[in-house]
Amino acid sequence: MASSTIGSSAALTFELGARCSTTRARASILTLPHGPVRLPVFMPVATQASLKGLTPEQLEETGCRLCLNNTYHLGLKPGQDVLASVGGAHKFQGWNHNLLTDSGGFQMVSLLKLANVTEEGVRFLSPHDGSPMLLTPEHSISLQNTIGSDIIMQLDDVLVTTSPDKVRMRQAMERSVRWLDRCIAAHKNPTTQNLFCIIQGGLDVEMRRECCRQMLERDTPGIAIGGLSGGEAKVDFCKVVETCTEMLPELKPRYVMGIGYPEDLVVSVALGADMFDCVWPTRTARFGNAITKHGVLNLRNAQFGNDFGPIEEGCGCLCCRPQHLGVTRAFISHNAAKETVAAHLLTIHNVWYQLNLMKQVRQSIIEDRFPAFLRQFFSDLYDDKSKYPEWAVDALKRVGVDLLNDDA
Amino acid sequence: MPFRVLKDALTDGLAARLGRLSLPRRRPIETPNFIAVASRGVVPHLTPDNITRHTSFGGAHMALEDFLDKKEPAILNVPPSQSKVLHSFTAFPQHLATVLGPRRCPPVRTPSGNGSKSLTIWTSNGGASLTIAEYATYVEKLQPDIAVGPADLFHTSPTPSKKLVRMAERTEDWMDQFLLDGHGRPDRLRDADVAIFAPVLSAPYPIQWQYLNSLAEDHAGHLSGLALYGVDILPEVTENHESLVPLARLSMQLPPSPQDVLAQVAAGIDVCTIPFVNSASDAGVALAFQFPPPVAGVAGDLQGPGVTAATATPRPLGIDMWSPDHVTSPSPFVEGCPCYACTKHHRAYVHHLLRAHEMLAWTLLQIHNHHVLSAFFESIRCVLETAPGAAFREYVRSFADTYESEIPLGTGTRPRVRGYHFKSEGGEGKANTPRWEKYDENAQLTTASNAHNQTENGGDEHEGQWHATLGCHSDAQQGSTK
Repeated sequence: MASSTIGSSAALTFELGARCSTTRARASILTLPHGPVRLPVFMPVATQASLKGLTPEQLEETGCRLCLNNTYHLGLKPGQDVLASVGGAHKFQGWNHNLLTDSGGFQMVSLLKLANVTEEGVRFLSPHDGSPMLLTPEHSISLQNTIGSDIIMQLDDVLVTTSPDKVRMRQAMERSVRWLDRCIAAHKNPTTQNLFCIIQGGLDVEMRRECCRQMLERDTPGIAIGGLSGGEAKVDFCKVVETCTEMLPELKPRYVMGIGYPEDLVVSVALGADMFDCVWPTRTARFGNAITKHGVLNLRNAQFGNDFGPIEEGCGCLCCRPQHLGVTRAFISHNAAKETVAAHLLTIHNVWYQLNLMKQVRQSIIEDRFPAFLRQFFSDLYDDKSKYPEWAVDALKRVGVDLLNDDA
Repeated sequence: MPFRVLKDALTDGLAARLGRLSLPRRRPIETPNFIAVASRGVVPHLTPDNITRHTSFGGAHMALEDFLDKKEPAILNVPPSQSKVLHSFTAFPQHLATVLGPRRCPPVRTPSGNGSKSLTIWTSNGGASLTIAEYATYVEKLQPDIAVGPADLFHTSPTPSKKLVRMAERTEDWMDQFLLDGHGRPDRLRDADVAIFAPVLSAPYPIQWQYLNSLAEDHAGHLSGLALYGVDILPEVTENHESLVPLARLSMQLPPSPQDVLAQVAAGIDVCTIPFVNSASDAGVALAFQFPPPVAGVAGDLQGPGVTAATATPRPLGIDMWSPDHVTSPSPFVEGCPCYACTKHHRAYVHHLLRAHEMLAWTLLQIHNHHVLSAFFESIRCVLETAPGAAFREYVRSFADTYESEIPLGTGTRPRVRGYHFKSEGGEGKANTPRWEKYDENAQLTTASNAHNQTENGGDEHEGQWHATLGCHSDAQQGSTK
């Protein structure tokens, strides 16, 4: 019996705890070298080995047990030599929980103009000194091996999903598969670090399926769906996630890269995804924006200058919890974009919000009331059903939840 | 009276004393001690939970002008609660004391000086004037634990001039108004647990004699302390105004170095206000001094007294964490330091955080630097308690021999400075080099071979740009193959 709910590979175990009886949502426990992580999970992004002003202790208090570092940035600063000398990124940043590193592939989406992808790797010019650089699958893995992250990502050939160039898209997908082979071959620590593949193929669901088939043959410990969150329509995004999760094995974690808006998270969970990351919650905090269940509030707005309530009523974060720090909207408003402390406090709140959202999602899946949770979530977020985003309504309808009809 | 002198150390001509400042609802502050300096109601880079968990200072100075940038300041609308208004608005930890003065420490120079009936202040929205009556009203509404009375301070240069007389006269008038014009204000403030500290100017005693006399004769009963903008005057105050002697002495003369702090303590200051802690952190400098100074030649020795070899090279008061020396260093800022930053992190990380412009660098430096000051004062109190005055003086002398006289400036970029922090006097040039420039492909290619490593990475999460010296394979040949 246990064998049917537990998947394991050299450096992780995946225990499927519960399945939603309506949607494709799952609740599971992913045990990584630095401890268990409850899925579905949102992973905040500590790009440069620091979560935007929070001490590792404060990040831990938000409930986070798995966060991201960015290989590309750590390769620049502090550099591989330093990481090797210090003994990896966990020691470097004083973080005793899990880390996931991205391969550097994402940067190609935004900086394609500067990059030239060849079979060998990504060749690009440093915008600061114009010197030519080359990032190969082997080097990306070597960097990630030095970083020592619990989950490492393959280098993939990323195109903007909206690219109309079918030929180039197919080339990128096929190259990503070849690069996965090179990554697997180059990976030195398969017993302590989990290499995840990244499914490519743009918005073409057939190409995505083909990529899934080829990637799955390589039997990596976990699977990511990549190339999304690059400006494509939400409808297309949902179709891709849906198409992929349909094909993926039950007993492996599924990571949709670059997703962070609360609506996107809950819909993606309903479509069968487990893991998400995005810089948005932490970045938007620095602009004075608080994520709440009723939407995003820009606390710099004059209306909050005299609002002495907590950032979000009923929130359990360090800032909002009653009888705790006593941080008010007015105080954040007073210091947003003026003192770093306001950014730190909002970052604590936003990260807590995202993690708590996923915790609630998980609990509702375990209690098999996820569809009801979805209804409540959207009715908290929008005061009227007519305002529900069409893409979310449609996507959820396809997995058996009709948001507009309470009886369904 | 919240302040009690526990031990007068008037032996050997040393005016330093031990005391305890017990403010209602707050943790007692053993003196001599220091308070942190807040900006807009926060100790820079330290969230309230980090203050509570990782620091041990007893309070912070807050500036009224930091709360007055709107026409109708929000701080006036704080709903009543068990907490005092200033604490409530700033979410300041309840065990710590707030000291409210009209202006920041140090204040930004205003375009014009004070008026005869008003202070000129500088908010994030520009200059404004604040009448003495308004200031008094704000003090009553904000309920700080300590309120510093209004003083007419130097506007531009602190060199003595004929203005001194007028400053003393105004300050006397203003304090009269602050204490007497409010229909029982001192009683109301006392009932609200607000201790009043009277300002003492940085002016020769004869010029302030009349003012000090009025404090001693007419107001002493309402005062809990003196806020001294110049400490040199203390011997004359003590000698001539007995009723002012038991008052707590808060120094508002901002010391540039720990040597100056020691001089203030020796002169009889109970609580120092020390902005150099914040500025060292912003500069990326980890303070690294201790009192008594370590024995010469024994690096990192944390033990007490020692003979200082006069020939030894003076030690730096702080360590520039921007220095590439720390790039792989697994050491704490200071060996053996028990602070959170030193026990949980290392120099290599903080050096990286500074280079990567990550805010956590300043947080960790603030935790450490405030700890260094707390430990410094703890040792000062220990010496004053256990050793004769001559020994204290000997330590002060050896401290001066052991350490350099100035805190290192730091060599990297600093946090962004805004108008309420700093006002350009013209001609300084930019403090930080620009992090973002317009991308010009042609210009980049021509500088390919010599621009390595010149510009810091402005990378911000996924929007980060590709920069020089990626730690990965770089083609051997120089120049571009575009």
